[in-house]
Formats: sequence, C-alpha cells, structure tokens
Amino acid sequence: MSTAVWLDSDARFIAARGQPACLIDLALSRGIDSHRLLKGTGLFYEDLLEHDPLITARQFHRLIDNARQLLAADDSAFLFGQQLLPGHYGATSNLLLQADTVLQALQQLQRFKALLSPLCAPVIRIDEQSLYLYWLDSFDSGKNRQFMVDASMTAVTALCRQVCGHALPWQYHLMQAEPVYVEQYWVHLGEHLHFNSPTSFMRLPREHLITRAGQASAVLGRIAEQQSLQQLSALTAPQSLTDGLFDYLCEHISGLAGLEQVAANFAMSAATFKRRLQREGTHFQAQLDRARTLIATDLYLRRGFSNEAVASYLHFNDRTNFRRFLKRLTGRSPNDLRQFLGH
Amino acid sequence: MSTMFVLHRFKLLALLLLANGGALLYLSLGDLKPMAIWSWTDIAGEGGSALLVLVWAGLLLKGRPAGRVTNLLFFGLACLFFSLWMDSLDEFISLPESLTLDHWLESAPMPLGFALLTLGIYHWHCEQLAISAQMINRERHFREHRLFDKVTPLGDAGYFRRQLQQALPAAQANSEPLSLVMLDIDDFSAINRSYGHREGDRVLQLVAQQILLNLRSHDLLCRLAGDRFIVLLPATLEAQALTLAQELQQSIAHLALKSAGQGERLQLRATTVALMARQEEADALLKRLNIVMARAKQAPQLRQAQA
Repeated sequence: MSTAVWLDSDARFIAARGQPACLIDLALSRGIDSHRLLKGTGLFYEDLLEHDPLITARQFHRLIDNARQLLAADDSAFLFGQQLLPGHYGATSNLLLQADTVLQALQQLQRFKALLSPLCAPVIRIDEQSLYLYWLDSFDSGKNRQFMVDASMTAVTALCRQVCGHALPWQYHLMQAEPVYVEQYWVHLGEHLHFNSPTSFMRLPREHLITRAGQASAVLGRIAEQQSLQQLSALTAPQSLTDGLFDYLCEHISGLAGLEQVAANFAMSAATFKRRLQREGTHFQAQLDRARTLIATDLYLRRGFSNEAVASYLHFNDRTNFRRFLKRLTGRSPNDLRQFLGH
Repeated sequence: MSTMFVLHRFKLLALLLLANGGALLYLSLGDLKPMAIWSWTDIAGEGGSALLVLVWAGLLLKGRPAGRVTNLLFFGLACLFFSLWMDSLDEFISLPESLTLDHWLESAPMPLGFALLTLGIYHWHCEQLAISAQMINRERHFREHRLFDKVTPLGDAGYFRRQLQQALPAAQANSEPLSLVMLDIDDFSAINRSYGHREGDRVLQLVAQQILLNLRSHDLLCRLAGDRFIVLLPATLEAQALTLAQELQQSIAHLALKSAGQGERLQLRATTVALMARQEEADALLKRLNIVMARAKQAPQLRQAQA
C-alpha cells in the first residue's frame, strides 16, 4: 500500500448530476424552494443544468442536511434511496444492470463505491448460508448518518429487485431503536427488521445470490465495466481515508501494534495521520472502535466464535476489557450480543 | 406573506389610515405628556393588548381563505384594536377635560367589535360543521393538524395509532368487534421511477379519493406510509372486513387512472388484507396486520416461483 492518496471531505469527486440530482429532484417535486435547498452547499441550480459540476462529500452532506430538514417527512430517505440504484449514471448504472447475478451486482457496487455510493461504503462478507452487506460512512456523516444508511439499504433493495425481477427476502439490522414511524420501514424495506443492532447491515440467504431475471449481455457488460474503470481511474483515489483505514484494520487487527505503525503504513507520521483524521471529523480511536465492532459482529455471525475467541482475535488481553468495550459500543454484553445475533 | 398583503390591501390600508387619523386627531386636540408622568404599566397593558390583537388579525388573514366569515372576524378584531389603540394613545397625550369625543372613540368601537366577533365566531362554527361533514372517513372524534399527512388529505400513521388506541378499549368495553383493512399498491415504486415523484404523489391522492368512495360513514382511512393505506372499521366482523378488502382491491384494479403528462393509462393493482382485533394492544395488532400483508404480498411470487 504505497499509494498514499485518499479521497478527503474536500475532494471534488461526486458528480452533482448523479446522486445529488436525485435528491434535488425529490425536494423540488415536493415544492421545496431551490434557493433554500442549495443554501450553503456552494452549488447552483443553473450550474447543475448547464454543466456537470463535481462536488465534495462535505457539500453533498450539506445538501442532504438541507433536504432532510426542509422535507421534514419520515419517508424522505426511502424515496431518495429508491432512485439511487441502478440510477441514471450511464456506464456504472449499466454495469449493475448487466451483472450476471445479484452477487455480481453487489460486488460491482462495492468495487465502484466511489462512483455509485460515494458517501456510504458497502462491505460484503459471505459465509455458507448468507451474504452480509455492512454499511460504513466514508466521510463524517454527522446527523445524516441514519438517513444515508436508510437510503442505501433501500437503494440496494431496489437494485436487487430490478436485477431479479422480484423482491428478495433481505433482513435489515439497524442501529437505531425502533422509531415511532416504523411503518415507513415496513413499507419501504419489509418486515424483517432488527433494531438496536450493534452495526448497520443487511443479510440475504445465499440461494438468492445466483439469480437474475432474463439474460445479461456479456458484451454490454464488458463495455460498461471498461468505461466504469476509466471513470474510477480518473478520480484521485478509489476510496476515502477512513475506508482505507477500515480495510487495513480488518486485515491487521490481530497484530495491531499502535498508531505509529498504522500511520507508517499510510506513509505519514503519527502527527500528520492524526491531523488528517481530525480534518475528516474523526479520530483514530473512533475508527478503531468502529472496525472492532464490525469485526466482532462478523465473527459471531459468520464463524460462530466464542466470546474468548472474539476477544483474543480483537487483541483484548482480558475478558473484562472486552466486555466493557462491547457494552460501551453496543449496549450489550458479549453473551447478549451473541444471542441477539442468533448464535 | 406577500399574497396576504395584496389580497387584503384595502382592509389593512383602511385600518392603518384610521389608526393614524386617530393619533393625528388627538395630537391636534391635546398636548404631549412629559415622559416623567408616563404610566408604564398602562402603556404595557393597553399597548401590548392592542399589538396582540393586531397579530391575531394578521394570523387570521394569513391563515384563512378570504370570505364572509374572515371579514366578520377581521372587522371585529379591527374595532377591538382601534379601541385599545385610542386608549393607549391618551397615555402619551393629555386631552382637555371638557372633551367627550375621546370617551366615544375609546369605548364605542369595543362593543361593536365584540358583536362582530361573536357573529363571526358563530358563522365560523357553522363553517366548521360543514367542513367536518367533508372530512368524513378521514377524521374521527379529534383533530390534530401535526398528524396530517403531507401528500394525501389523510391522517398519518401517528394519527391512526392514536385513533386505534382509543377505539380498541372502547370496542372491548362494548363487546363490539373491530376490524382493520390494509391496502398496499403493488410495485408502486415503478410509478415513482418512471413518472417521477410528483406523478407518484398525484396517484396516491387519487387512490385515497377512490378508497374514500368505498367506505361507510363511520370508517376511518389513514395513510400508513408510502403506498400503504389502512382503514379502521368499528363494529365490523372479520368476514365483513374481508368483503370490504376485496371490494377495495377490485375498485383499485378498475380505476382507469391516466398519467398527468401524456394521459396514458396507469394500470394499478393493490393487495388488501383484513383482520379482526383480538385482546391485544394497538401496536401488536398493527404488527400482526403487517405480517399478514407481507405474506399476502409474497404469495403471488411464490406461485410464480413454483410455476
């Protein structure tokens, strides 16, 4: 990992005519004033129609924040999500539509996340029974976190529905407590909902992964892939700093020595690394906690690990520390969490 | 806001001129009091009341459609304001003792204002009865504007839940059956995708109207979320509710909707399910109904998969 280039919150890489346009369209169709919607985003409506401006993650988050508050409706995230995938983004949308199977569509989504899901990174894990799709913030989401996760889950649900020709039996694990407007989740996602989850993820039985309706075109698929790769390589980097850090932590969690070692891997001094993370609105401990929570969840789910095995995998020296860690981040003791996740 | 000033410009202008005229008249007849003898409590009391009445008049004009009732209420409030305004003016201006005009200007508009307000409120009451009759099937027993749905002219899930929480114990106390019907448009997201959200919202409004036409006078229709509607059926057995559910399903299938743009036919299909309440809480009942709906929605897919 010698390329020390990452997308940060101020990198202009999101095509405003892609996902942001979906949100602007939704808000305008609900009678929201375009000036109020775009206030503080540095984006102009005329610009969007005449050019194809690139915006930063920070600008997009500001737009989402505005739209969320102006729409002031419980279903905004779901309506937004329904438009996101496969979307109208040209080659990358075609790539999803020409996927041979649901699994391939999801893998392409993960590979081209900077183009297809710039704010919320999908992370795929598979075992003998199921596919697990975790959702991570690529940038500091602030108050938009739940909105983005809800929208992304709806988007993937709609994508698979389109690839398969019918709805798939996804299970949804959501971090928030059951909201008063739970009906929105029933209608837009389905009845398999689990609230108060340690991390946000979706789960699908494996037998549905190999299905698709009709026949994909191999030629069109190849063309779309090449065009998408060109678009991806035109970006300064394929993913955000925290996405990269997450990948690194997943790989090295068992032998993690400390911040200096991680920073060195990212070709930075510890001080620079800290500063870069701070500029992204986070810090190393928060990122480490996030990775550990997801890895613990994943080990319980896919490997059926015992508490001791998970603790030692995550490099915890004693059970009390591990217990305290889980309690602080998920509100559950190791045994509770195992039971909650169904082992 | 600008439309309010344009629509009511003559009324507002007249009130402004009148208030101004009163002030000029007092100034021409009397002398300004020195600040030392101003009575601040009187100024706050009378002036504050005058201002509040002016705010009421503004909210009234902004919130209500123009018409007879609005005019009556406005002129009533205008008289009250004028009376309070003249009353607060004499805190600043001392008038000669011999003058009786000021008593008239302060006291006469007050009873007139109250009479107009009373008349206005009476007609407002009649108007409310007429509106309530139009709200049949959309409202029961209580109104809460914060629980209005933003798209359709119906109550939302929160309103429905509160209605159900009231209706369930009442039904149990009277040993009456209570049933629910849930209706979900099949593949509604396709309409949003192909025609846009504006068209999707329009279809939801029309579907809501269509469902209302099929209900009895004491049923309540709400929009649960998205394209899912729910009907509360008091004093209804499950068999009757099932019949109604089927009727609703057929009625949606036969609704010959045309798109707003090119006017082509939008083919709608709905899945409906019905349930009778057992000894359970509102939330549990809603969850149970939702699961029945999920099974009903999967059934055609299962048939497809088996075929």
